[in-house]
Amino acid sequence: MKAPLSWLREYVPIDLPAHELATHLALTGTEVERVAVVGVSDDPSILQFFVVGKVVACDRHPDADKLSVCSVDVGEAEPRTIVCGAPNVAAGQTVAVSLPGAVLPSGMKIGKAKLRGVASAGMILSEAELGFEAKSAGIMVLPDDWSAGAPLAQYLPLTDSVLEVEVTPNRPDCLSVRGLAREIAAITDRSFPEEESFSYATSARRAEEDVAVEVWAPDLCPRYAARVIRGVTIAQSPAWLKARITRAGMRPVNNVVDVTNYVMWALGQPLHAFDLARVRGARIIVRRAKPGEPIVTLDGVSRTLTSDMLVIADAEQPSVIAGIMGSLDSEVTEDTTDLLLEAANFHGPSIMKTSSALGLRSESSTRFEKGLDRNLVLPALEMASMMLTDICGGTVSSGTVDVLAEPAYPWDLPLRPARVEAILGKAIDQAEMRAILTSLGCAVVESDGLLLVTVPTFRRDLEREIDLIEEVARIHGLGNLPSTQPMRPEGRGGLTPDQRLRRLMTDTLQGAGLNEVVSYSFIDPEWLVRLRLPEDAAARQPVILANPLSADQSVMRTTLLPGLLATAARNLAVREERVHIFELGATFHPEGELLPRERRALGLLLLGPWEPDTWVSAAIPTDFYLIKGFLERVLAALGVEGEYQPAAEPFLHPGKSALLRLAGEDVGWLGEVHPLVLQAFDLPAGAHAAELDADALVRGARGVSLFEDLITYPAVEQDLALVVDRDLLAQRVVQAVRAAAGPLLRRVRLFDIYEGPQVPAGKKSLALRLTFRSEERTLSDEEVNQVRATLLLDIEETIGARLRG
Amino acid sequence: MQAVEGATDLAALEEARVRFLGRKAHLTVLLRSIPELPAQERPAVGRFGNVVKKELEGAIAARRDVLEREELVHALERDRIDVTLPGRALPLGHLHLITSTQREIEDIFMGMGYEVAEGPEVETDYYNFEALNHPPDHPARSLHDTFFVNDLVLLRTHTSPVQVRTMEKQQPPVYVIVPGKAYRRDNDATHTPMFHQVEGLVVDHGITLADLKGTLETFAKAMFGEERSVRLRPHFFPFTEPSVEVDVSCMICEGAGCRLCKRSGWLEILGAGMVDPNVFDFVDYDPEEYTGFAFGMGIERIAMLKHGVTDLRLFYENDLRFITQF
Repeated sequence: MKAPLSWLREYVPIDLPAHELATHLALTGTEVERVAVVGVSDDPSILQFFVVGKVVACDRHPDADKLSVCSVDVGEAEPRTIVCGAPNVAAGQTVAVSLPGAVLPSGMKIGKAKLRGVASAGMILSEAELGFEAKSAGIMVLPDDWSAGAPLAQYLPLTDSVLEVEVTPNRPDCLSVRGLAREIAAITDRSFPEEESFSYATSARRAEEDVAVEVWAPDLCPRYAARVIRGVTIAQSPAWLKARITRAGMRPVNNVVDVTNYVMWALGQPLHAFDLARVRGARIIVRRAKPGEPIVTLDGVSRTLTSDMLVIADAEQPSVIAGIMGSLDSEVTEDTTDLLLEAANFHGPSIMKTSSALGLRSESSTRFEKGLDRNLVLPALEMASMMLTDICGGTVSSGTVDVLAEPAYPWDLPLRPARVEAILGKAIDQAEMRAILTSLGCAVVESDGLLLVTVPTFRRDLEREIDLIEEVARIHGLGNLPSTQPMRPEGRGGLTPDQRLRRLMTDTLQGAGLNEVVSYSFIDPEWLVRLRLPEDAAARQPVILANPLSADQSVMRTTLLPGLLATAARNLAVREERVHIFELGATFHPEGELLPRERRALGLLLLGPWEPDTWVSAAIPTDFYLIKGFLERVLAALGVEGEYQPAAEPFLHPGKSALLRLAGEDVGWLGEVHPLVLQAFDLPAGAHAAELDADALVRGARGVSLFEDLITYPAVEQDLALVVDRDLLAQRVVQAVRAAAGPLLRRVRLFDIYEGPQVPAGKKSLALRLTFRSEERTLSDEEVNQVRATLLLDIEETIGARLRG
Repeated sequence: MQAVEGATDLAALEEARVRFLGRKAHLTVLLRSIPELPAQERPAVGRFGNVVKKELEGAIAARRDVLEREELVHALERDRIDVTLPGRALPLGHLHLITSTQREIEDIFMGMGYEVAEGPEVETDYYNFEALNHPPDHPARSLHDTFFVNDLVLLRTHTSPVQVRTMEKQQPPVYVIVPGKAYRRDNDATHTPMFHQVEGLVVDHGITLADLKGTLETFAKAMFGEERSVRLRPHFFPFTEPSVEVDVSCMICEGAGCRLCKRSGWLEILGAGMVDPNVFDFVDYDPEEYTGFAFGMGIERIAMLKHGVTDLRLFYENDLRFITQF
C-alpha cells in the first residue's frame, strides 16, 4: 500500500522526517518497505524554477513542422521565448513552465537551449514530465485564474514522499490512507478526526426511481448500497488527482474511475461505477453465477464462472465479478452521462476463493478478501458523491438504495489490567491503556477495576481480550518491555538418546571423510524409472504432489539414491572427480491411513578414487569393500552387529551388492551401482552406494556400554587356516566357527584368503585369527587346544571345513 | 693405543682390534702361552697381560661408541627428506552448513533447558493450519503457498504443527525446539521450495512477552556475538498474539546501515509471539492457567547472516566447493 505523505497530512499533522516516521511505524507494527521521494526535489533552490506561465503568442517554428515558438509571460518584465513540441499548445493558455535551472523528476536538467536555431528559455510542461501520470498526449493546461509568475508549487503537488507499507492481513483498515493516518495519530500522540462530513447538492429525483437492487445471496453480500448521479461529463481528471492516483501506484483512467479509486484508497472501501444506461432492465441483481456463465473482464480476458462465485448482474447477465473486477461492457465510457455508483460489502473468504480460482487479483479483491467493515459503505458513497459532483459535474439523486441484511454495531470487550501484566511481563498504567485504546478509535470506560472497551466496527480483528492486549503492547512500545527469562527449576534439556545416536551416525561419516548433502525431498518420478525399478515395486509408488512446481519435483522421494546420483552428476559436471557424500533425511512411503510413513534414511555414495593420486602413493580406488567399511564403521559406532547377504536390487550390480540385516530384519543395502543406472544419470561406471534405515539402526543400537574386563586375564590367540568350498560365504564360516567354539571365543578376525595350486580345485583357504579369553582365569594351552579340537570336528560337519595341511 | 684412537671408521677400528686382540695377536699368543711359562713368572706376566688387554678393550669400546654415533649422524643426514612436500591426502569430511547451523541453534537452546521435538513433514491440514488458528477461510492461509497431496494432506509449510503435536502429548511445562524441513510453493532468488526452520515453544505458569524478549536476546548473542542487540516489532501471525518479528543489530555495520541490512542497521531473523489462546483450546490447555511463547526462524537465513552466504540456492545445489567451506 502506497500512501503519499501529503495525503496522510489531510488527516493528521506529520512533523517527523519521513524516515523517522517509517521507523516509528515499523516498531508499532506497520512495516514500511520504502520511503520514496517522488516528483520534483523539495529543495527551494530548484522549486523556484517551476512557475505558472501565460502563453501570450504561439507561432509555428520556421524550420520545424512540429515545433511552436511561444512567447510566455512568467511574471517578468518581458515574456520569454520558449519552444514547445506539444500539439495542443495555443495562445491564451495558462501553462506550467520550468525555467533554466529546474530539474525534472526524471532527472532532466532544464537549461537555455537552441531548438532548430531558435533559443528557448525554458520548457512548457506536461503532466507526465511532472510525474503526475505515465504518459501525456500534450502539455498541461491550467485554470486561467492562476497568475503568471506564481510558484507552481503553490497550486500543484510538485513534490511528495510516498510511504510504501506492508499491511498484515488482519488490518484491512490500514489498506487506506485514512486508516494509516489513524495509526500515525495514535503512535505520534496526535488527535484524529473520526467524523468526516461531505456536502454536495442532490436532486429531487430519488435513486429508487432509477434502479432496483435485489440481493439473492445475502450470505455472500451482507450489504449492497447504490447511488445514482445524473449528468456527469467524462473527462481527464485534474492534475492534482492524477498525481495522487499515480503516486498511490494506480493509473489515471478518467475522472469517474479516478474518483472511485481515490475513495477506495482514502477510505479502504472499493467502489464500482456503472454506466446506468447500460444496466439492462434498470435492475441490479447480486447472485451466484450460473455454472459456466461467461464474462469478459476489464483486462480483456474471457472467463468462465462457477456457481460458488458471486456476480453483480443486471436483468440479463453479469456485469461484475463481485468485489474483483468489472466486465468490459458495463464500463464507464466517454459517452456515459448517468452513473450507478456501487458500494458493497462482500464475504471475504468467498472473494478470496473466487480470486484464487480465477487467478485474478485486484486492489478491490485484496481489500474485500480480508473482510471489510460494512459500515464503511455509506461514508464511501458520501465522499464519492461529493467528489464526483465536484469533478465530473452532475447531480446526485436523493437517497441511497441500501440492502442491508444485518447492521453491524460496535461491541464491548472487557480488559483486565492484571491480564495485561500477565501476558506482557510489565504492568501498564491504566490511564495509558485508556489513552492507547481511545487513540485507536475505541471507547473505554472503567468499571470495577476492569476496562470496558467498545470496539469500532472497522476493527473487526479486535475480538478478544488478547487482541486488546496486543494493541496496548504495540503502542506502548515493545522496546519498553523488560528482558527476562523463564525459570525452569525442574528443567532438563538435551537430546533424546535416539537424537544423539543420529548425530553420532553423521559425525562418524563426516569424521571418516564423507561430506554431507541436503537434497530436495521431492524428486522427478522419472528418476525412479532410471533406477530400473519394476513398475509394481514399492519404491515406484511415491506420494504424489497435487500441485507441484514442476514435473521434476512432483513426487516425494522413496529412496535417497537418485538424489545422491544427481548430486554426483552435478559435481562431476564441474570437474569434481571425487564425490564422497552422505545424506540423512526422510523418505516417504504411502503406507499409512492418512499420512504416509516417513522413514529416516541414511544414504551414502562414493564416486571416484577414495584417495587421489598423489606424489606419495597411487590413487586408492573405491570398491565394494570400501563402502562396506563405511557401513561397518557406522554400525560399530552404534554398537550394532549386522549380517550381510547377497542382494538382488535392480539398481545394483548383481554380483557386488548386499543386503544388510539386523536381528532378522532387512535394514538396507549396499553395493556397486548398476552400470545402466549410472549411465542413465550420466555417471561413469564404478560408483558405490548404500542406503540404510536410520531409525532401525538406532532402534538396534546398544544403549549403555557395559565394562568388559579385557585386562586382568590375558587372551590366547590361535590361527586357523581352513579349507572350504570356494562358494561358501566367509560370513557363514565365521558364524560356524563361533557357534562351535562356545563362549571362550571372543573374537574372530579373517586375515587372509587363498585360492590356488596349494588347495584343491573348487576350494579356498581362509585364515582366521581366534582370540580366546575368560574373565575368571588365565586360560591354559590345554584348555584352548581342547576347544580348538572340538571346534574343528564340529565345523567339518557343519560346513565341511578342514584344517589346511 | 694410537691405532685404536686414530681409527676413523668402524672398519679401521675392527682391524686394530683384530691386530691387537685377535686370535693371532701378540697379546693373545702371550696370554695363551702362560701355562707354558715357569711357575714363578706366570702371575706377573698374566697380570700384566690382562691389564693391557682390559685397557685395549676399553679403548676400543669407547672408540666404537664414538664412531657408531658419528655413523648414525651421517646415516640420519642421508635420510633427510623434503618436509615441505604435502602430507598424505587424508580425506576431510564436512557437515552441510544447514546441519551445522541447526546443531548450533539446538545446542544454544538445549543449554537453556529445551528439548528437541520432531514431527512429520507430510502433514494434515488440521495440524498445519486449523489447530494453529488458521480456519479454512482464513486470509492468512494465502500467505502460505502450500503443496498439497490431497484436500486433507499437505507438505507442512512450517515446523509449527509440531507445537500442536507436542502439546497434545504432554501437559506443561513445555520447553521444546523443533528443527526440520518445511515446504512452500515458491522458487525465486529468496525462496526455495524446501527450507529449514527451527520452531520454539514454551508453555508454563507465568510465561510473558518479556520472557520471550529475554530468551531471544540470549539466543541472538550466543549465535551472533555478545555485542548484538535485539528489537521486537509487532507483527501478525494467526497462532500467536501478540505477535512480533525480531531483528538483530546488523553484524556487518554494527547498526550504522549497510547493504546487508538495507541501511536500516537491523536484520530480521525470526517471527514469534505469545501462543494464541485459541491454539490452547485445540489442545485443552487452560489459557488462564498457562501462558506461553513460540518462535520460528529459518536456518538458511541464520546461516546466511552468520557466514555471509549471498545466494540461498547454494544450500540445495550440493556443490562440494560450497559444502567443504564450512
